[in-house]
Amino acid sequence: MTEPAIRISEVHKAYGSRRVLDGISLDLARGTKLGLIGPAASGKSVLCKLVCGLEQPDRGEIEVFGERIVGKREVDLGPLRRRIGMLFQNYALFDFLTVEQNVAFPLEQGAAGTLSAETIAERVAARLRAVGLAGSEAKLTAELSGGMKKRVGIARATVADAELVIYDEPSAGLDPVTTQKIYDLLSADQARTGATVLAISSDVAALAGFVDEIAFLYDHRVVYRGPAATIADAPNALVRQFVRGDLEGPLDQAGPGMASLDRSIK
Amino acid sequence: MSNRIEALGSAALSLVRAGVELWRVYVSTIAGVMRGFSRRKDRRGHGGRARQSRAQSELVRQLHAIGNKSIVFIVITLGALGMVMTYQACLQLGRVTGDYSQVGSQLLRLIISDFGPTLTAMMLATRVGAGIAAEIGSMKVTEQIDALRMSGVLPIDYLIVPRFIACLVMMLMLAVLGSAVMYAAGGLTAKYSFGVNPNTFFDLSFIRPRHLVLFVVKCLAYGAAIPIVAGFCGLRARGSSEGVGWATTAAVIGSSFAVIVLDFILSASALWLTGGDL
Repeated sequence: MTEPAIRISEVHKAYGSRRVLDGISLDLARGTKLGLIGPAASGKSVLCKLVCGLEQPDRGEIEVFGERIVGKREVDLGPLRRRIGMLFQNYALFDFLTVEQNVAFPLEQGAAGTLSAETIAERVAARLRAVGLAGSEAKLTAELSGGMKKRVGIARATVADAELVIYDEPSAGLDPVTTQKIYDLLSADQARTGATVLAISSDVAALAGFVDEIAFLYDHRVVYRGPAATIADAPNALVRQFVRGDLEGPLDQAGPGMASLDRSIK
Repeated sequence: MSNRIEALGSAALSLVRAGVELWRVYVSTIAGVMRGFSRRKDRRGHGGRARQSRAQSELVRQLHAIGNKSIVFIVITLGALGMVMTYQACLQLGRVTGDYSQVGSQLLRLIISDFGPTLTAMMLATRVGAGIAAEIGSMKVTEQIDALRMSGVLPIDYLIVPRFIACLVMMLMLAVLGSAVMYAAGGLTAKYSFGVNPNTFFDLSFIRPRHLVLFVVKCLAYGAAIPIVAGFCGLRARGSSEGVGWATTAAVIGSSFAVIVLDFILSASALWLTGGDL
């Protein structure tokens, strides 16, 4: 049996007195696509950052491609991170670089810098064409709209054909048509490279069309994991209510801040 | 009472943790400088050359931002201070002895061994320290630092090392310029306000090599401390714009404080090493 791309065992994470993850365990096989959903502040982005070693857990173990990352020094995490592409929730584009330089950055910094200038330029141009940003190469990120920034972020995350790609809200800020185009692009990319994908999205319908499985984070834990295609009919009532957007249900009483929100509506 | 003790203990722990983190930034910066030198030999492919050329252009940008853009600020401030110091010294001497023959030589000794580098560093701590912390802090809160890390780049190598080298070089240059302006402004004040002969004022006979060594050592120490303290504050920025504001304020206070503490330590060490004959 091949080693999973990601193995998370009993991971705990808190910021001061605020508990974020409470004993999460999750495996992700190579070449598969897992979607993460859950209410706001349920720890989805934190979990992604833990997988990349950008944050360290308080307890537990995390392995990526069979490599333990907990307690590893920053300088030793570089080679592993170059195998991972990440789209950040708030784009995290370098504001001192142009669009073209942003997308070229992982190629220039990775693979011991062995790619030729022509290869880098070709790959960057192809990526920018794919996300519909041809002609915007020389623009600074401050000149872009939110949706364009998101697409530059996607181009940067996928330009190096990483083995593991993490998308934190790939469709946030995009219109429905662009959202569908972006998910089609991500699916085509994944089919071409065979990369393992971990994706977070609040747009559950679009996400379900892209990933194989969906995990639901709630109360600092993974409370459900099942096929994406049947997520709306999941046996877990919490998941069903969340996916369908029902106002009545177990989330209504138990969710963080839900009770006060509910009172405000009434 | 127990709550107060707990709060005190927690504050002390935070201080110790911050000290350890600052020390790590310092060690990582030195290691980053070493890595930069060893990487100069590795220029395989366009990526290697692009990295090298980006590192060089970033260093030039920082030399310009820290050095050239501080010249007017340093010249005006140190020139004015040189005039005030000379005026006050001559005023007091005129009341007591009326002998101005030692004013120039003693002022020069004071400028070289203390005021030149220290006042230049205090000025740089406010201008450059705030800039470094704001720039790095805003990158931190917008996750650009995480994006750098995801490309396998060490943020300290990419962000602090060029500022560290630029600050070391420019601190020395600006201190020489600032000291010269301070001394010249003092000489003009002495001549036009008290009629002191420039030949008497511009007297280098009291300057010993030890003064010049102390000048260089102080410049290097301050030049190293300012970007490290400011970069450390920037990397600790949290949240949003409020966090960047906090980092900027902390950088100005921290780097100014570092300059004062280093001045005390280096001056005391120099006095001890020379047996009080500095």
